[in-house]
Amino acid sequence: MDTKQATNKEPDLQLYQLDNTDKQLLQLLQNDFPITTHPWKELSHKIGLSEQQIINRIENLYAKKIIQKIGPIIDNSKIGYTTATLVALRVPENQVDTIAAIINQYSDISHNYEREHEYNIWFTLVAKNTKTLTQTLNEILQKTGLNQNDILNLPTKQRFKINVNFRLTDTI
Amino acid sequence: MDKIDNAILSELKLGIPLTTQPFNNIASKLGIPQNEVLVRLTKLKQTGVIRRFGATIKPTNIGLLANAVIAWTIPADRVDTVGQYLASFTEITHCYERIPVKNHWEYNLYTVMHAQKRQSIEQMTKTLSETLDIPNYVILYSKRNLKNNKTTKKENKQ
Repeated sequence: MDTKQATNKEPDLQLYQLDNTDKQLLQLLQNDFPITTHPWKELSHKIGLSEQQIINRIENLYAKKIIQKIGPIIDNSKIGYTTATLVALRVPENQVDTIAAIINQYSDISHNYEREHEYNIWFTLVAKNTKTLTQTLNEILQKTGLNQNDILNLPTKQRFKINVNFRLTDTI
Repeated sequence: MDKIDNAILSELKLGIPLTTQPFNNIASKLGIPQNEVLVRLTKLKQTGVIRRFGATIKPTNIGLLANAVIAWTIPADRVDTVGQYLASFTEITHCYERIPVKNHWEYNLYTVMHAQKRQSIEQMTKTLSETLDIPNYVILYSKRNLKNNKTTKKENKQ
């Protein structure tokens, strides 16, 4: 997996404000973070920086809002959220913010994007069973005043891939 | 997953502390030995509860300004092959088969693609469509993240 690049590959990322060391560090950090007593020390061997230099660089990358988080990403399907769906809503332009706020009240929403299409709000929703999921969707319809024609419910049937791992350098 | 697993994951919700021994900090907070934190996290990773342990990067802030969901219509007997093939591209971060809406929205395969320019997304999609003979697709560009309320590590600084 993850070995192919599309045939018409883009030129290398022009990463403003990032030097090669930052790129290598980001590449390393996206992969398996060492779950050990001195994780930075382990990384420092791989990248040739001291522990403190690594920490300083990471603080800087947080400040630039390039890193959002370093930590565990949970697979919802393994902790009881066995049902998941992608939902699209067709919403008048001037109601996007109001309706997004209603959707965001639900903690089981993971992504919520405005997209350039007639169906303009797209969000993902997980639930412990189909009944709860349907209930949540009906509630959202009720609260937003939208009707069944304005919603696409696209339940997950099979996951081929989820791996948000961006390639920043080929050298590591 | 028990109470202690939950407590550890909850401590890590905003990311690991940027200290020399981050897992030791978490252990002290919870009043358990560091080794227990390490063993439990390793186990959660092995069992797949932790899908990945690492950095989450904001694509738009590293220059990947064009992001889109591409919805495809794939004949039922080809979904597995095409799904696995599309999943193998680094530019594609998500690839899911979904149950479509009959006679109204027939797209059954969904990929998320990231690139520096929209032009690249259009080109890659076109190439894939032609190579795989899957002519039916729609590109749904991200316009705005509507869920910007994620707390960041900065607020969790130790």
